[in-house]
Amino acid sequence: MTVFIFLGSLLGAMALGIPIAYSLLVSGVALMWHLDMFDAQILAQNVINGADSFPLLAVPFFMLAGEIMNVGGLSARIVKLALTLVGHKRGGLGFVAILAACMLAALSGSAVADTAALAALLLPMMVKAGHDKAKSGGLIASAGIIAPVIPPSIGFVIFGVAANVSISKLFLAGIVPGILMGLSIAIAWYFVAKRENIQPPPKASLKEQLAALRESLWALGLPVIVIVGLKMGVFTPTEAAVVAAVYALLVSMLIYREMSIKQLYEVFVSAAKTTAVIMFLVAAAMVSAWLITVADIPSQMISLLEPFMGNQTLLLIAIMVLVMAVGTAMDMTPTILILTPVLMPVIKQAGIDPVYFGVLFIINNAIGLITPPVGTVLNVVAGVGRMKMDEVTRGVIPFMTAQFIVMFLMVLFPSIVTVPARWFAG
Amino acid sequence: ADIKERTIKYAVIYDIKHPHGLGAQKFADLVAQHSGNKIKVKIYAGGTLGGEVQMLSAMQGGTVEMSAVASSQLVGIIKEFAALDLPFLFNNEKEVDAVMDGPVGKQLLERLPAKGLVGLSWFEHGFRNLTNSKRPVQKLEDIQGLKVRVQQNSVAIDTFNALGANAVPMPFPELYSALEQKAVDGQENPYTTVESSKLFEVQKYLSVTRHSYTPLPLLMSKKFWDGLSADEKKIIQDAATEAAVYQRKTNREVNEKSLQALKAAGMQVTAIAPAEMERIRAKVQPVVAKYSAQVGETLVKELFGEIEKVRKP
Amino acid sequence: MVSRFLDGYCRLIDALIALALAVMVVLVFGNVVLRYAFNSGITVSEEVSRWLFVWLTFLGAIVALKEHGHLGTDMLVSRLGKTGKKVCLVISQLTMLFVTGLLFSGALAQAQINLDVQAPVTGASVAIFYGAGVFFAVSAALLLLRELLRTLTGKVRDEELVMVQESEDLAALHDLHLDDPMKPDVQPPRVAPQR
Ligand code: NA
Ligand code: NA
Repeated sequence: MTVFIFLGSLLGAMALGIPIAYSLLVSGVALMWHLDMFDAQILAQNVINGADSFPLLAVPFFMLAGEIMNVGGLSARIVKLALTLVGHKRGGLGFVAILAACMLAALSGSAVADTAALAALLLPMMVKAGHDKAKSGGLIASAGIIAPVIPPSIGFVIFGVAANVSISKLFLAGIVPGILMGLSIAIAWYFVAKRENIQPPPKASLKEQLAALRESLWALGLPVIVIVGLKMGVFTPTEAAVVAAVYALLVSMLIYREMSIKQLYEVFVSAAKTTAVIMFLVAAAMVSAWLITVADIPSQMISLLEPFMGNQTLLLIAIMVLVMAVGTAMDMTPTILILTPVLMPVIKQAGIDPVYFGVLFIINNAIGLITPPVGTVLNVVAGVGRMKMDEVTRGVIPFMTAQFIVMFLMVLFPSIVTVPARWFAG
Repeated sequence: ADIKERTIKYAVIYDIKHPHGLGAQKFADLVAQHSGNKIKVKIYAGGTLGGEVQMLSAMQGGTVEMSAVASSQLVGIIKEFAALDLPFLFNNEKEVDAVMDGPVGKQLLERLPAKGLVGLSWFEHGFRNLTNSKRPVQKLEDIQGLKVRVQQNSVAIDTFNALGANAVPMPFPELYSALEQKAVDGQENPYTTVESSKLFEVQKYLSVTRHSYTPLPLLMSKKFWDGLSADEKKIIQDAATEAAVYQRKTNREVNEKSLQALKAAGMQVTAIAPAEMERIRAKVQPVVAKYSAQVGETLVKELFGEIEKVRKP
Repeated sequence: MVSRFLDGYCRLIDALIALALAVMVVLVFGNVVLRYAFNSGITVSEEVSRWLFVWLTFLGAIVALKEHGHLGTDMLVSRLGKTGKKVCLVISQLTMLFVTGLLFSGALAQAQINLDVQAPVTGASVAIFYGAGVFFAVSAALLLLRELLRTLTGKVRDEELVMVQESEDLAALHDLHLDDPMKPDVQPPRVAPQR
């Protein structure tokens, strides 16, 4: 009963067009009323304390780093490097997109920012080369969602805080699965491109390759700092994020000299605004999470999922399908915030490694960004590439399918995730 | 008797098997027993309702009914509680029990209702010891330069800075990952906490410093308390008093067991020679003097007087 | 007149949250540098940056409310006619006003409780912390009331009938400056001759 009050009020408010953050507060009010503990202070207390978190400070800092990279010319150099490295292969521009996406993913934590950069830089080239626009757009969308899987990742930060799981461990565990997502779409693209049969651009000379490498060396230093810093235990994730932001700032202003003071101000305003939208949602989710705890909804969920509890694989498949369903209609941050407090107790009860689950959960949420009807990353490609949503949606299907296959392989064979995770955490 | 059906939300920051949780469970059982199951104490363990600071504010506002919160967290609300944070105040459990169950303990609890809280009895967090990942701490000089996470409490910050460490105030939930990342080198807590929060995984050296003792007043929201009948108040007060005896005893037993478990897990335990201990004590005297003045000489004198009574044979 | 004032108010908040973010960067980055280079730290860094973060969140949430930047879905509403949309909008605004009112009274109560409570490190009044909620609620209530009045008096333009966007960082997209460094030296690949 309680769980239906929660979901009913939440979805009802959302259907009216109320912002999700406010809808979460509405569901909190409904739960308070249902539990006969109506008190405005519960709302205020949890919403304000919900925004008060040092680990979540990583969110604005990674936001800032990502924005600076796009504005300051770091992203463009990475794309150019990928172009000189693999551009000449058959279907080369597609592989460029995938390689560039993986490298950009290691610099930024947001799928939208990466996709926008890729779509702006590569989509026109791909179309000009004769590739089908729908398929090219679909490929770029599916490449863009690798960003939140390969660290740094705002999704992992929010999940880590909500689920009380080590953000560093999540980061390090995401590297290999992220690369596998890239490989899966590379394979899919190989078959797509084979049929298109388009002449790739000429091979870049070694000199051009070295020049591009030298140009992008400063940008490539960023993931090295973040990953090595985390692995060696030099920084906490929050500190890694601030170091990344300052580093990107210095490279843009002093080395590439592509960012003006005015742009700098705009970047700070923009990062602060985006952060506020995310954090207000996080804070509002704390209200419903608190009442979910008080109302014991997790134990109701556990008894609901009791038939699956004995079999970790079946349980995970059930949960993954649920997340897929939610992901068709909802963006990543709200999905994480709404489902984590409900799912985590189930995961713990079933004895599933929370880091492993976190990786699967974030991958699923990431793919949700390209599943219709609501796929934010599809919107970005459509917007930046001036395409129709239907067109991008049609184009993304082979790549989305490949990524779902990889995700379910990880469900069936957990060692794909856990073995490299252990290796990185070493 | 005048007893209504009631549910009490009791927030525990630690795991239910930690002495904080065991005390809560004992209290819940006693209340259930004496109220004929009419008053239910529902325990929310593992910090699921929020951290200590948030719980204090929640109890003051009446949204959470109960929690046992480290006395050091009360300093922001009632400055006199800082007296209990003074470094090397108590030498042993015997002194602790005499003072907390005596007039000073009572006097401190009586300050709470003015701030919307009712102090029922004294649970304990216990004597704190220093751990770190850098080196065995055997003497004063070994502490110098260590980055030590302390509670978000000015006495604790000043104490460790006085010893030459870099005190880093930080909320407890962030401690493990900060130690893992070596953002801080060390921390100070009772053995039970080091064991239950698995800090031994990221801390190699433990020094038996017993540099401060943290009491854990069992608190109730005054808003809730004021709505209770005399019979209900008696049930709750009696349960709190009885649970406190049990909780402190259990905490000390578990603490000893934890020490053994930490040794077994590979932590290197270092005792500090009495002469070194004197040097360390001398070093924190300015901190004691500063906060004694802030808290008020009368209270501090009374506190030291009570302790002296126990120390004299 | 009102709308000019509101725009100015939001630009002021923009500047404040950008400043807050900059201070947070300085404090947290400064702490890292001090720790590694000088083996010391800024004791207040953590507490001050967390409080700035809270204020940034609630101040930014005001601007997002005005600019319809909060996340949401228009899946259902977008299928309705103009009247349907308006009805949903009025219900939404009333609901949000109610929730905002609760937030106000709750935050005010907490601010009063914490008026004399000192923050552990800085010693500042914890009411400042809860004050973020009060400030947000007052501003949000005024914005919502104005929008409600405009909806009821029919002054709302059609595109304003939806008050959410689907993704948080879509709003930031127009700020992308993905221009020149690529263009001069990357030749557009040629289209292959059909075999
Ligand atoms: Na990333
Ligand atoms: Na979707």
